[in-house]
Amino acid sequence: MILFTRHLTLIVAGACGLALSAHGAQAPQHININQLSTTVEDVVVPLPNEIFGALNKLGAVNWKEHVRSDKGPNFTERPRIALLLGTVIADGFIAVQAEDASAVKDIGQRVMALAKGIGVGNSITPHAKAIIEAADKRNWENVRLELDRTQNSVQQAMNEVHDEKLSQLVSLGGWLRGTEVLTSVVKQHFSADGAELLHQPDLLSYFQTRLKAMPEFNLPIIHQIQDALVEVKPLIDVGSARIPAESVKKVNEITTRLGAGIVTRD
Amino acid sequence: MNRFAKVVLRSGALLAAVIVMQRAACASVDDAQSFALQAAEPYVKQGFQVREDYWGGDLASGEKKAVRQQLFKGNEYWFWLGTEVDRAKVSVHIYDSDGKLAEEPDSWEKGHFAAAHVIPKTTGSYFIIVSVEQSPEERTHWALVYGFR
Repeated sequence: MILFTRHLTLIVAGACGLALSAHGAQAPQHININQLSTTVEDVVVPLPNEIFGALNKLGAVNWKEHVRSDKGPNFTERPRIALLLGTVIADGFIAVQAEDASAVKDIGQRVMALAKGIGVGNSITPHAKAIIEAADKRNWENVRLELDRTQNSVQQAMNEVHDEKLSQLVSLGGWLRGTEVLTSVVKQHFSADGAELLHQPDLLSYFQTRLKAMPEFNLPIIHQIQDALVEVKPLIDVGSARIPAESVKKVNEITTRLGAGIVTRD
Repeated sequence: MNRFAKVVLRSGALLAAVIVMQRAACASVDDAQSFALQAAEPYVKQGFQVREDYWGGDLASGEKKAVRQQLFKGNEYWFWLGTEVDRAKVSVHIYDSDGKLAEEPDSWEKGHFAAAHVIPKTTGSYFIIVSVEQSPEERTHWALVYGFR
C-alpha cells in the first residue's frame, strides 16, 4: 500500500511537472494594441466555410437554395477571371454545405477552366481532380480540404509570378460571394448573432487598401466594388453596437448586385 | 596521433561544421510550417479544419510579431506556432481588439512549439502575438497555422 502511494505520488508529481513545463511564462492579461511596437501582418482572409460553419451553429440552413453551378461566361481580362475564380471556389464550399455532388463536380471543372484562363492551370489540375473524385465518393471533408488547397495553390502560383494583385482579387471574389450568402441566410431568419457575423470592418478595410493599389485594373466591376465597399463600411463597422436587420438587407442587396456583376459580361 | 589521423579528424570536423551551417542556411519558413502543422495534427482528429494558408517569417530572440485575424463567434479556433530550431522557445497568445487576453487556459508552450486556443465571445478582429522567447540562432524562422471547427 505504501509502495502504491509512493508510486501514485510520483506519478502525480510527474504529471504536474509535465503540465507546468508545457506552460511558459504567464501572458499579460491586457496589452495596449495601439502601442504594439511590432509590425502587424496582413490578415489571412477567412474561407467562406469558416463563416458558414458559424452560421450552421445558429440553426439549420437550407444550403440547397444557395447552390450555384452554372458555367457562366468566359472572360479574357485576368482581373475578371480572378474575381470569378474566387466566387466559384466559394460556390464550391456552398455546394459542400448542401452536399450536392453534381454541383461540386461542375464547380471542379469550372475551377480548372478558370485557372487555365489565368495561367495557373498546372498547379490546380490535381486539386480539381481530387475535388471531383471526393465528390463522387461524397467525402465532403476531403472536398473542403481540396477547395482550400485549390485557393491556396492558385494564390501561391500567382504570387510566384508576382501577380499578388490577382491573388487578392481571388480572395475578394470569395469574400463577396460568402457575404452575399451570409446576408441572404440572415435576412431570411434574422438573429442578432447571425448579423454579428458581418462585423468584419478590418477585413473590409484590408480589401479597400488592396483595391486602391490596383489602378492598372481599370475595369467597371473593380470601380463598382470600390464604391460598394464604401457603402458597406458604415453598415458593418458599428463597434460594440448590434447590426440591425435593415443593414443586413442593405448589405445583401449590394453584394447580390456585385455578385451578378462578377458573373455577367459587361 | 599521426599527421594523417589529425588531417582526417580536422577535415571531418570541418565537413560536419559545413553541413550544420548549410542546414541552418537552407532552413526556411516552410520548415517552420511543417513543425506548426505537426503541432496541429492531433487536433485534426478532434474535427478542426486546418487552413492551408499561414503566416511566417523570422524573429530575433525576444522579438514579437502581431498578426491580425478576423474570428467568428460560434467557431472555436486553435493557433499553432512552430519553428525548426529545436532549442528555441516560442510563445503565442491571443488578444481581442481591446487588448484583453482572449485565450482559453488550455493554451500551451512546449519548446519550439506553442498553441493558443480561443472561443471568440464576439465576431471581429483579434491579435495573435507570436514571440521567439529564446533561441541559439540570430534569427529564428517561425510559422503560424490555424484551424477551426
